[in-house]
Amino acid sequence: MFNLRDWGADVWERSSRPIRVLIALGAIAIAASLPLLGGTFLNTPVADYGSVLVFPVAIFVIMALGLNIVIGKSGLLDLGYVAFFAIGAYTMGLLGTKTGLNSWEILPIGIAMAMFAGLILGVPALRLRGDYLAIITLGFGEIVRITALNLNSIGGANGIVGIPTPPTVFGLEYTFDNHRLYFWTFLIIILLTIWMIRRLSVRRAGRAWESIRQDEDAAELMGVPTFRYKIWAFVLGASVGGAAGVLYASKTLFISPDNFTLQVSILILACVVFGGMGNIWGVILGAIILGYLPDRIRFISDARLLVFGAVLVLMMNLRPDGILPRKKREKALPGKNQNE
Amino acid sequence: MLANFQNQFASLTVGGLSLGFIYVLIALGYTMVYGVLRMINFANSEIFMYGTFASIVVIRDVFKFTQQSEPATGFRLIYILLFCLIGSMLMAGILSVFLELVAYRRLRNKGSNKLAPLISAIGMSIVLAEFMRILTDSRYVGSPRVMEKKVLGNFFGAELRLDNVIIVVAGLVLFIGLSQFVDKTRLGKAIRAVSMNEDAAKLMGVNLNFVVSGTFLVGGLMTGAAGFFYILKYENTSFNIGFELGIAAFTAAILGGIGNIKGAFYGGIALGLLETYASFFLGTQWKAVTVFLVLVVVLYFRPNGVFGEAITQTRA
Amino acid sequence: MSESILKLDNVTMQFGGVVALNDVTFEVRKQEILGLIGPNGAGKTTVFNVITGVYQITKGSITFNGKSISGIKRYRITKGGIARTFQNIRLWGDMTALENVITATDTHKKSGLLSGLFGLPVSRKEERRDKVRAQELLDFIGIGEYADRLAKNLPYGVQRRLEIARALGTNPKLLLLDEPAAGFNPAEKVELAKTIRKIRDAGYTVLLIEHDMSLVMGVSDRVVVIDFGQKIADDLPAKVQNDKRVIEAYLGVPDDAS
Repeated sequence: MFNLRDWGADVWERSSRPIRVLIALGAIAIAASLPLLGGTFLNTPVADYGSVLVFPVAIFVIMALGLNIVIGKSGLLDLGYVAFFAIGAYTMGLLGTKTGLNSWEILPIGIAMAMFAGLILGVPALRLRGDYLAIITLGFGEIVRITALNLNSIGGANGIVGIPTPPTVFGLEYTFDNHRLYFWTFLIIILLTIWMIRRLSVRRAGRAWESIRQDEDAAELMGVPTFRYKIWAFVLGASVGGAAGVLYASKTLFISPDNFTLQVSILILACVVFGGMGNIWGVILGAIILGYLPDRIRFISDARLLVFGAVLVLMMNLRPDGILPRKKREKALPGKNQNE
Repeated sequence: MLANFQNQFASLTVGGLSLGFIYVLIALGYTMVYGVLRMINFANSEIFMYGTFASIVVIRDVFKFTQQSEPATGFRLIYILLFCLIGSMLMAGILSVFLELVAYRRLRNKGSNKLAPLISAIGMSIVLAEFMRILTDSRYVGSPRVMEKKVLGNFFGAELRLDNVIIVVAGLVLFIGLSQFVDKTRLGKAIRAVSMNEDAAKLMGVNLNFVVSGTFLVGGLMTGAAGFFYILKYENTSFNIGFELGIAAFTAAILGGIGNIKGAFYGGIALGLLETYASFFLGTQWKAVTVFLVLVVVLYFRPNGVFGEAITQTRA
Repeated sequence: MSESILKLDNVTMQFGGVVALNDVTFEVRKQEILGLIGPNGAGKTTVFNVITGVYQITKGSITFNGKSISGIKRYRITKGGIARTFQNIRLWGDMTALENVITATDTHKKSGLLSGLFGLPVSRKEERRDKVRAQELLDFIGIGEYADRLAKNLPYGVQRRLEIARALGTNPKLLLLDEPAAGFNPAEKVELAKTIRKIRDAGYTVLLIEHDMSLVMGVSDRVVVIDFGQKIADDLPAKVQNDKRVIEAYLGVPDDAS
């Protein structure tokens, strides 16, 4: 059976270094030109194409990539991922409105806050497995939201308004409707995240996560410091979520606890599951489709969550590896017996 | 505030007990399925939510109660209450069996990885809740009052309100009934056998699919009963009540030791009381946070609950 | 007589009211092959589980190279030089054979996540070196040609051998083999016996659980027998085979004996 993922990996592996660079640059160029290509037929009933590309599509892609480190790579079901997104966004909102710091200065702070939260949650939660981890993380996400809702010092139910846009870079102005500039900014974060995940996947950390996902007990008995690597997965996932939060807040200029419900965690989970847990290209594709389609098709946008729920059930039952599954293939060994 | 608390202590206790029994019954739904499948049935919270709606449908459409109707009394009241209880239980029981068939069975028979049934369950609970949201237009649905909430008497300064008394008494009866069922009947014994050792039970000729369906049915019946009691106590419901109540009941199951029927009982009562007392001091907006904190603390320090099996221990 | 590498002193392991190991004492000496046998359910795998830290012992002490290892984290015990295989194969099925072994060699890597992320030279050098070493181990065990195959697709016998190669990947001083010959035909068993001797001759110490008597008696330097969680014999293979209690344990006590 034809497998797009294997075909792609094959092309990549057979290419020499310069050709790989060319392929990568070409792909980046295509992605970067996305905001220029859209015709009006790509507009959705609620927003035009350029803005949909930034939110939800680009934000979903970033978050799905981050959640994929936790779920796809290490097999830890995190249902409270929205908490890190919220922490990033609130860091941006509070520091942006109350101090003179700008978005670029707040970005590392937001990431650090989210990572710290990942550590605080991870240390108790990651002693547990599977179902229990899911429940604990779900609770954590809700605690963060309820706290934001009930603390009037951070806006309470009204949230935070008047969050500043990022300052001008190289003469490019981040005005509210300059969607292209926002998209390119987000694309840089996406590329950085992809770079980080790919770098780690082929090294010790990637193998440790993979062994934990497949058989945690065996991993620990083979000398893998499982707890430490689970924490790392959590913290790195959180850092990506935090970055997404900062960017989101400096794009929408207004945040409130309603933006950070459990449903967001579920939406992102659906993106990861739909695209293919563990495969970054699948996850990106899943996030693009599930980010765009429900906004485009009115019929779906009313029942969006229903569709996402059904996606989860159907994918798990019919195609648990997603539309672009993780690597399954073995390298061809010339002259070796392959037909067992 | 403390003096105030002492004054109201008895009344709070009665309210906490009736809330506790609602938790007990939902917790039974979680705990029975966990015992047999070693899996958290995430969608049990939505089964409960459908149970509350089933009660309202029976009250409104079968007995033609409206907001203006006179509350029922005497034998007619008992008859109506029984009917509602059975209606909720059946609705939830059937839905629960159906849920297992659609969302879990295929995955279980395939022996897929551990995440798959969990994600499927989450998906299923969203589908159920969203379906109800669209059906009810995201609105709260109130229940016509079927009985007058008379105060039956005083007990150490606590008002014994009729609905609370009914919930505690009926909840106790249901719980005892379930214990007897699990101890005495063929299906009950099979459920226990599978809980203890699935492989051995299969070798002894237990039909696993049948036992699993039976477990979901019984768990659903209990959860449905909780749905009816909820309506009796609060007289309204909405598509999103499952989440909060579900998490609380799950916490109760963990508190008592999941997989253990007695544990669900003690855990439910303890959590019902704790939550009621805590709300008195902190205000109800922190209720959910209290519950989560209890869950985290229990999982962290006593993952076995009061009794029950170890969660973290390896089965090598 | 060579010095001991692992010592179990009066080890008792209770699960609730069930006593799985009762006051077990024995030692493993450097560079020997010690056979651990006993009837089904005697507690052999429990011995492995307490040594590797899966269970915390109720009483007694376990010392490895003169240091107590009870209560130490499992991965640290492995890092300290004890590695095991599993009776029911527990490879990482979606990794290749080579990756399975490399993951085990990671135990002793200096570079962690951050040096890997930034591609520091220490990380790159270690990656290259361990790949070579993992391939050498596969060759050593005789399954080098399967390096790039996914573990779950390997033939059963190769999987069993891969378990051994993976354990060796952690660079242990003491190797625990849990029924490595389960499901093997006689020819494969002969091969395996050779491999186990080869492992010993390469400088490792082996503690072997095995049901196949001729294999254990053939390769072991000494044999420890446990029954109902208690040690009932500890001697040379030839002596153990004729021990009255051992024969009783395996054949059942004759009615008139008591």
